[in-house]
Amino acid sequence: MKENVLGSVSDKKKNKIQLTTGDIIFNIINYAFFAIFTISCIFPFYYIFINTISATEYVNRGAITLIPKGLTISNYVSMGNVDAIWSSVFITFVRTFLGTALMVFASSIAGYLVTKKEMWGRKFWYRFLVITMYFNAGLIPWYLNMAMLGLTDTFAAYIIPGIVSPYNIILVKTYVESIPGEIEESAFMDGASYWTIYRKIIWPLSKPILATIAIFGAVGHWNSFQDSLILNANTPELFTLQHRLYIYLNQSSNLGAMVASGTSSSDSTVLANMANTKVIQYTISMVTIIPILCVYPFMQRYFEKGLMLGAVKG
Amino acid sequence: MANSAAVFDNKKLSKSTPKTPAEIASIAVYWLMRAAVVFNVVMLFFPGSNPARITGMIHKNMSLFSCGVSYDSIVANFGRAFRQEWVQESTFKSLNVCALFIIVSVVIAAAGGCMSLGNNKLKKTGLVFSAVAGIMETAMIFWLKGLYNQVVDQAYASDKIDKVEPMFQNISYIYMAMGIVYIVCAIVNFFLVPKAAADEKMEMDPKYQLFLMMLPVIALAFVFSYLPLYGWRYAFYDYKSGQDLTADNFVGFKWFTELFKNQATKKDIVNVLKNTLAMSGLGIATSWIPMAFAVFLSEIKNTRFRRFVQTFTTIPNFISWVIVYALALAIFSTDGFINTMINSMLDEGATKATTNYLMSNEHMWLKMLAWGLWKGTGWSAIIYIAAISGIDQGLYEAATVDGAGRFAKMWYITIPELIPTFCVLLLMSIANILSNGMDQYYVFSNAMNRENIQVLDLYVYNLGIGNGLIPMSTVVGMVKSIISVILLFGANSVSKAVRGESIV
Repeated sequence: MKENVLGSVSDKKKNKIQLTTGDIIFNIINYAFFAIFTISCIFPFYYIFINTISATEYVNRGAITLIPKGLTISNYVSMGNVDAIWSSVFITFVRTFLGTALMVFASSIAGYLVTKKEMWGRKFWYRFLVITMYFNAGLIPWYLNMAMLGLTDTFAAYIIPGIVSPYNIILVKTYVESIPGEIEESAFMDGASYWTIYRKIIWPLSKPILATIAIFGAVGHWNSFQDSLILNANTPELFTLQHRLYIYLNQSSNLGAMVASGTSSSDSTVLANMANTKVIQYTISMVTIIPILCVYPFMQRYFEKGLMLGAVKG
Repeated sequence: MANSAAVFDNKKLSKSTPKTPAEIASIAVYWLMRAAVVFNVVMLFFPGSNPARITGMIHKNMSLFSCGVSYDSIVANFGRAFRQEWVQESTFKSLNVCALFIIVSVVIAAAGGCMSLGNNKLKKTGLVFSAVAGIMETAMIFWLKGLYNQVVDQAYASDKIDKVEPMFQNISYIYMAMGIVYIVCAIVNFFLVPKAAADEKMEMDPKYQLFLMMLPVIALAFVFSYLPLYGWRYAFYDYKSGQDLTADNFVGFKWFTELFKNQATKKDIVNVLKNTLAMSGLGIATSWIPMAFAVFLSEIKNTRFRRFVQTFTTIPNFISWVIVYALALAIFSTDGFINTMINSMLDEGATKATTNYLMSNEHMWLKMLAWGLWKGTGWSAIIYIAAISGIDQGLYEAATVDGAGRFAKMWYITIPELIPTFCVLLLMSIANILSNGMDQYYVFSNAMNRENIQVLDLYVYNLGIGNGLIPMSTVVGMVKSIISVILLFGANSVSKAVRGESIV
């Protein structure tokens, strides 16, 4: 149809793309491969989701395979009554916001400062920061250090160690170097201090890169699991959502054990009413995944840029 | 305030005029003072250097800083002591305030140290700060001594001296010495630093302004990236959780030789290394897959489909390994998707399929590789996709004219353009051959598959945190860190030799 309407243009196109049998076979295989791979990436999320919105009786009977049955949101409502989850959600949200904000601020100011040639010992301090990307003392010395500083079993353990991120400092530095120097110089001539220049010029102009590192930082905070597992193992009220999910995934075959591991007695009734441990796992998994899926479309705009900048070394 | 012209002037000035003996002396005194301040700030955060620990009931992991900011943590073990009046609560409230004042005095001293980098006017003001800090810190140590005496009296009165264990830390004298150093330095420099002109404003050389703005970041990097190296000393002690490191339990290189002598450990290490190298090796062997993914994806001419594939294959990279494990459970566990699907196709009354694919120990390396690829391929391909979009289209047109087919163009144009990127990533993954990370293997490990899944990072965790063998796990981590750095430098020099560019 379209070809007839477009006439000569499409004729030209048709002449150009002469599909041979080989091409057709190649295309079929190629499309099929990518379709299958993409489905394999989406399907597990979909499968969990349809289980959480189906009535428990169908889930129990193993009747849910490709389509949801007996639509209900009761699982999410019940989940909302589990205090332990709320505390984890709260902890995780706060650490994500606070941790990301502080990291972005520190990276942006440090990234700006290391571009200033007149700083005392600039090269030395810059290397001092960069070396930490390639060398670390190891897990146990890190843990002992945190214990020595009194950061075990505290909320601060989630925030403070992550504030200085050498990789992000390099990203900001590279970006700031691309801002024309004249803007800064003219501000200097008008008598602006470094702080004013940072606040009025560097910060607004470097917003794209700051958005990029903020998004990556936030995802990192949301997903982080090790610090909760290692540093705060003795304080269930500080468990992050990922840690809580891990515990539920491993223990939910025994609700009693799960209840003993820090959930209150009212939680245990709620969980017992949900009956199917599988559904509990799936629902809390969804709670953990949804925020990531919500910010994902916004992230997409930024991550290609971030990745490309990452390839440019400091 | 400062401008680039001023920087230039300052440099010129300091070079052209020779320094008088008084100036040199004042600079020396300042360096002494600054060193004392840095030392003092560091001491605040070390539990070993806590003058406020005036009884054995205060936990020995408490630093002066935590004593100052948290009353609750000072008296965490004091429930019985207060109820039965071994000691008085008011004493410890005072202790909290006293510790807080010491912190404040150190902060003031630090401010004074920073101001010493300014011009004469700023220096003079800074000296006032230093003097105040010194007086305050010295006075606080006297107060601390008084509080200690109170505790001793109370403990004697209640006859619980053995339970209360009053102790006056020797470190207090160091704090007092610091205070005196500040006072003396302030007085000396008060005479050495020339008087500022009446109309002079407080100013600082831009190079120090910038440095001071950077200082918090440097301090944090030091505390969280360099200070852990101090923990390497545990590798030389026979340390058990809760003990102290003393000359008695110093064992030298015992744990290092243990690594090779002890049969059980040796067997573990060999097994762990086998897993680590196998999984990293498989990762390296399949590192061309993201590149191939990008090349074939760019062959798809339908933009919407391409965009769709790219969007959804990248998602797994942004979820944590815990969620990947949750998805794995949903699909492969006993009542997961695969078994449900099989059962739904079976006849009524047939034996139900109940295989838990995650519990088996077979092909663990390949399974881990598959999960890694599932999670990472889409994401890793992005950098190649970006590189492909940057290739000059003229190359392809010229090749078409010469009669090159689809595969010829891929092989002779696209791939060679991507090889430099591929090489950098390959060298990086070779440098990281020992660091597979712990999360993936931790979440997928269970009683059945432990033997084949335990990689070096997970082994260190299990050994140190799980079994509490701190020295041994520190040794393993230490050796790993050192080998990793050597590998990195090796990879870097290969890159320099071959490509003329460094990768770090």
